[in-house]
Amino acid sequence: MIQFKNVCKEFADGNKVLKNISLTIDNGEFVFLVGSSGAGKSTIIKLLLKEIEPTSGSIIIGDKDITKYKRREIPFHRRNIGVVFQDFRLLAEKTVYENVAFAMEVIEAPPREVRRQVPIILSMVGLSKQSGLYPSQLSGGEQQRVSLARAMVNSPSILIADEPTGNLDPEMSWDIMKTLSEINQRGTTILMATHASDIVDRMKKRVIAVENGIITRDEMRGGYNGEA
Amino acid sequence: MKLRTGKFFIREGFRSIKRNRTMSAAAITSVIASLLVIGIFFVIVLNIDFAATKLESQIEMMVYLNDGLSQNIINTMSTEIKSVNGVKSVEFISKAVALKNLEKNWGENSYLLEGLDGDNPLPDAFLITLSDPDQASGVAMSISAISNIEKVVYGKEELAKLLNTTYVLRMSSLLIILILLFISIFIIANTIKLTLYARRREIGIMKFVGATDWFVRMPFIIEGIVVGVIGAVSASIMLGAAYYYCSNLVKNQMIGFMSISIMPFNQIISSMVALLITIGVVIGATGSLISVRKFIRV
Repeated sequence: MIQFKNVCKEFADGNKVLKNISLTIDNGEFVFLVGSSGAGKSTIIKLLLKEIEPTSGSIIIGDKDITKYKRREIPFHRRNIGVVFQDFRLLAEKTVYENVAFAMEVIEAPPREVRRQVPIILSMVGLSKQSGLYPSQLSGGEQQRVSLARAMVNSPSILIADEPTGNLDPEMSWDIMKTLSEINQRGTTILMATHASDIVDRMKKRVIAVENGIITRDEMRGGYNGEA
Repeated sequence: MKLRTGKFFIREGFRSIKRNRTMSAAAITSVIASLLVIGIFFVIVLNIDFAATKLESQIEMMVYLNDGLSQNIINTMSTEIKSVNGVKSVEFISKAVALKNLEKNWGENSYLLEGLDGDNPLPDAFLITLSDPDQASGVAMSISAISNIEKVVYGKEELAKLLNTTYVLRMSSLLIILILLFISIFIIANTIKLTLYARRREIGIMKFVGATDWFVRMPFIIEGIVVGVIGAVSASIMLGAAYYYCSNLVKNQMIGFMSISIMPFNQIISSMVALLITIGVVIGATGSLISVRKFIRV
């Protein structure tokens, strides 16, 4: 469960990006976070990843208030959250396999576990055949699936997707959405920030809209611009 | 730390050096340059110490005796002087021996001594060496108190000058070594900063998949240490070869003004290599830590 309780975030320049936000996301939910650029979506994601701290309020994940974590606890908090970005953020000099394995290596997973887990996750995103290729040899959609595999390889309970289809054409976008749905059906909570109205409208999932730092709408089976 | 993690760090450290060949080469060269200078000063300090110890051990004191003492009295005086704290050895030089030494020293001018007509104006004396030249004045005082002593003579000022010069040289070398250490650390810090910049994507990924700070930092620290050690080893080889050559030159040719021989190669090489490599590791690790601390904020 993810819970924001009266969260405010004011930056040093006095800009109030989040104004008293409260929301609850249950385990296994699929939630779209929509809103115009600068509305506060990225701030919410950064708060969840503990890249920034809220000015006030508390953020609870599972049964722990993550705002109370010490600095050295942050890496372990992040191991429970997978992230994918609009720009994929793959390492160009590593192969598909190595990019995914890297996520396990840096948290000191046993090599045997890496050799077992990486092929499983690559087949889940449909990239078994491409495992020896480099990101530059893949299409955008395939690259995003590599980054999905990397986000999921350590079996996080939450997956955050920040504009995952932002750089993809519609067909590839639907590919990614299908993969995301599958991941969600296996029990992972998904929070996806997006501008893609057609995707939000067709998926019919919960939609949380943020504008000017407040939640303007929160509906189950919603659309991008209100009731679908 | 797990063994395979150590391997991962070392692999990543070396890989990064290979990837930034030019910068690493530049950093290694700068480290070699500073370590060479540091090494040269270290060698100089060691040689000054070596020479000073040798000179200090040569500091002698002449104790002149009153005329016409019996052998018995001289023997008792000798034991008395030996018992003074700080006296290492006592050698009796009779007036006859002293005259012969004088003749020898004067060489062809020794005919002047013929004018003495067999008279020997020189006193009997004790030649004393000291265990610690710092105590010279105290020893001189204690000996003066013994009866039948005419005069105690030693190179008071020369001694003070020598002690003073070695002190100044040691301190200024230390200062220069410290300055060079800072410069080297700064150079390594900058090299690592460039590596960090080149690998910021990778660092970002490591952080968001949950690598600990130390895990992210370690490869860069290893990289710094490797740069430092490669520099140290190269500087050691160069300096060692140069010293070996110089010490042979001095040994074989006895350059005129070098009346004091330099420290033998075997005696200096191990401490020099140990020092340079230790410095290499320390500046490498410190340099990277400085950069990495600034760069890797989670």
